[in-house]
Amino acid sequence: MNGTPPQHRRRQRAAWVAIIVSALALLLFGTVRDTGPLTQQDRIDSVTKRIACPTCDGESVYVSRASAAESIRAEVARQVGDGVRTDDEIVAYVAERFGGQVLLVPRATGLDALVWILPPLVTAALLGALWLAFRRWRAPSVATTTRRPLIVALALVVVVGVGGGVLVARQSGQRLPLQTLTGGIEDSTASLLAQARLASGTDVASAIELYDRVLVTDPDNVEAITYRAWLVMLSARQFDEDLQRQAYGASVAAFGRALELEPSYADALCFLGIVVFRDGGDAESSREFLTRCLAGAPPAEVKGLVESLLVEVEAALD
Amino acid sequence: MKAARLGALISALVLAALVAVLVVSDGESDIGARSPLLGQPAPAVNTTTIDDQTFDLARRKGSWVVLNFFNSTCVPCIAEHPTLVEFARGESTRADGVELYTVVNDDADAAVRDFFAANGGDWPKLRDADGAIAVAFGVAKVPETWIIDPNGFVRLRIIGQLAGGVLESQMTRLREASSS
Repeated sequence: MNGTPPQHRRRQRAAWVAIIVSALALLLFGTVRDTGPLTQQDRIDSVTKRIACPTCDGESVYVSRASAAESIRAEVARQVGDGVRTDDEIVAYVAERFGGQVLLVPRATGLDALVWILPPLVTAALLGALWLAFRRWRAPSVATTTRRPLIVALALVVVVGVGGGVLVARQSGQRLPLQTLTGGIEDSTASLLAQARLASGTDVASAIELYDRVLVTDPDNVEAITYRAWLVMLSARQFDEDLQRQAYGASVAAFGRALELEPSYADALCFLGIVVFRDGGDAESSREFLTRCLAGAPPAEVKGLVESLLVEVEAALD
Repeated sequence: MKAARLGALISALVLAALVAVLVVSDGESDIGARSPLLGQPAPAVNTTTIDDQTFDLARRKGSWVVLNFFNSTCVPCIAEHPTLVEFARGESTRADGVELYTVVNDDADAAVRDFFAANGGDWPKLRDADGAIAVAFGVAKVPETWIIDPNGFVRLRIIGQLAGGVLESQMTRLREASSS
């Protein structure tokens, strides 16, 4: 090797660099290239191939004919048809419900990430071992007299292996539900409504604010319209008559709007009946609303309020 | 010799770590099964009953709701049915009684009707024709029973056949927890 002319060595190095750069460029192109638009059926097939049937051994939802797999396939088809979620988000939705064991493509986080990290690490270790072996053949005296190249090689193997593994895991691993671009379950309207309901018993102002947030994104949300109006009316009862009158007008209008959107919504009918009697003094209309409310099978909490009030309303009318 | 000692030490450490994990790990002794939905708002359920009445789970807020995933040919479902009938009877006497719903899993309306006519139970039976409700709750096999609180949060998941008195005791525990 020492007899090789420097010009030849430079050419050899340039050739190696060219090969490595070409290989990296091809890998990069392979991972980021756009494969073009897929049909809905292609998307359904590709997503169901990534999900394991939860009741069978070693079969994907794509292959299995089990009842649970059929249900998941139908759900995937529905979500692809809706066009709201990406493929990753649909897989994450199913994994969120059935657990990580239904993922045929392992996650890029936690212990699952080892599946992605170990192969590049082992590859780097093997390449490092090869490099060391070649070095020893070419210059045995250097390899045996100093440990420095071995330490450098080990460090390089660890850095390249782990770094490569993390990159592969990021590129290929399954994304978790909370890693989706649209956010997780805690951002949803259902979650805001549930939080508002929870807050309404202890912190009315926060509950009203949460209902307001729902109405910003979903102005026709009947539950938010109804319960916001109910809480506003309850709060106004602590203030002067003027404010109570304003709140009464706004609440009745809000219940009316909720009933326009969903005429059989029992909660809105119940609250309207209560407010019309308690704050408006109109027993006749109240009886009508409360009767319609009870016919609509209201939930237990509201039913309890209404049944006792109806007795009062009947007494006022007699 | 040195290498052998090192090997023995590493083996002992690995064994000790394994024992420690087994000792401190969370066993499955609780009646409730795990689910990412526990403590989260219940998934949306919009469907019809087998009597063609509309059903929207979001409209049942204000009541405790129990969803029982069922199939009329499943043996544990048949075996647990008297427990559910008994539970429904007890709850019907309470002002804040639970609303019990059967979610029909991969079964025909007629078969479900015949089953309930023969075995009792007059609570609503919800259709889940394409399994959307089962997928939303992550139900792979029936029976499964879920409890949702009056605020719409999922509170308990029970996988498999219900033993007598389990639902009653769990409801007592959950009611006490929510009122405290």
